[in-house]
Amino acid sequence: MTFIGNEISSILSKNRNKICDSWKKQLIIQSRTLVELIGLNQVEKITQEISDSLIKAVKTINTHEHEDYKKLEKQVAELSREMSLRNITPTETAQLIFFIKDAIFPILQEDYGQNSIIADYILFINSIVDKLGLLTFQIYLESREELIKEQQRAFMDVSVPVVKVWKDIVLIPLVGMLDSSRTQLMMETMLSAIEDTQSKVAIIDISGIPIVDSLVARHLITAASAAKLMGAECLITGIRAKISQTLVQLGVDLSGIVTKTTLADGLQLALQMTEQKLI
Amino acid sequence: MEKYQDSRDSGQGQSVSTTIFVASYEDVIVARQKVRELMNEMKFSLLDQTRVVTAVSELSRNIIVHAGKGEMTIIKYDESGRRGFRCIFEDKGPGIADIDLAMREGYSTTNSLGLGLSGSKKLCKNFSIQSTRGKGTRIEIAEWK
Ligand SMILES: Nc1ncnc2c1ncn2[C@@H]1O[C@H](COP(=O)(O)OP(=O)(O)OP(=O)(O)O)[C@@H](O)[C@H]1O
Ligand SMILES: [Mg+2]
Repeated sequence: MTFIGNEISSILSKNRNKICDSWKKQLIIQSRTLVELIGLNQVEKITQEISDSLIKAVKTINTHEHEDYKKLEKQVAELSREMSLRNITPTETAQLIFFIKDAIFPILQEDYGQNSIIADYILFINSIVDKLGLLTFQIYLESREELIKEQQRAFMDVSVPVVKVWKDIVLIPLVGMLDSSRTQLMMETMLSAIEDTQSKVAIIDISGIPIVDSLVARHLITAASAAKLMGAECLITGIRAKISQTLVQLGVDLSGIVTKTTLADGLQLALQMTEQKLI
Repeated sequence: MEKYQDSRDSGQGQSVSTTIFVASYEDVIVARQKVRELMNEMKFSLLDQTRVVTAVSELSRNIIVHAGKGEMTIIKYDESGRRGFRCIFEDKGPGIADIDLAMREGYSTTNSLGLGLSGSKKLCKNFSIQSTRGKGTRIEIAEWK
């Protein structure tokens, strides 16, 4: 059997302008919002570029060098990414691709309506276009995921603030997730604050940390001993009852560190330790 | 990326599962959020949530630190008289040579506290571990009301 991709490609190529035109018209009628959002020029450009790539791709799709098909996939992926950035729903993007069928099938019908080979032609186009439609969904999901991760990264990236709350006392309030890079930052910030202000007590407040697992615990223990090496005492405050219960079950031993439930208690203790009084 | 699967099995009520790929610290956050959301929805107490989410944090982090990547699947079940869920942590990493040793409090091959596995076992109602050297590790925890 000869490969039908060649024949299909030449039929499509002969009717290229007609396909682009009818695809565009379909979109104008059926995907009103999309056309309004991206503009008619853009729609025209998309239909032409993808039609051209498709015509090339069907020719070589069954060979080992299906570079053209890869190019087509890349183009569709790019398009999907762009659409998702513009807040166009994944359904609309997939439909945009699927409507090319409505442009191609009537043309095949016209030329081959009486010929039984038309069934093969339609199957062939169907399988390619369906795959491309699925690809737009996959890319949509991936780009959403990237966005979420980026936002999380941005959220975690907030620098660690240090507040000198009293003579000899610095406070480091922690918020969010304490991963290794933020711990590094926290340690550096805390140690240089102790040095700069010649403080005797550093209070690390963890009320803003939702989960204290063994990694966070380890980081806190390390911070406390680093502070000690610099001649300062480290207090951990804001350990809520639920967290301390969980820590005990987890087997974390914080007995080497002074802890207080509330920041207020911690501050009071710090004042005592530095022999100061609230006036 | 997440996969959703909705399976309704033979009259046994229904179970819904979600799978999350775990390959970075951001994924650990996502895993924690998913479990917290579910427990909130199922009206588990805040203490229960803290307890289980801490274990989820440990086990998903173990995947990243010790296996590089893997996935967590949450399976919610709602069967006659019993409502709960299971979390399965699976990876195709190096596996654990001596499970008893790895489960011991304070044992760590990475110079850490070595509390992740032993702690998770204590934190969860149900905990089971399977691991084959060179093949990977599968840990399952379960909670119910
Ligand atoms: N998914 C895994 N694949 C391979 N080895 C693992 C896996 N999970 C745990 N281990 C092994 O079991 C040991 C104990 O794990 P555990 O979580 O208790 O401690 P840790 O990860 O070393 O330290 P911590 O969790 O306290 O920071 C690890 O050091 C590691 O050798
Ligand atoms: Mg661990």
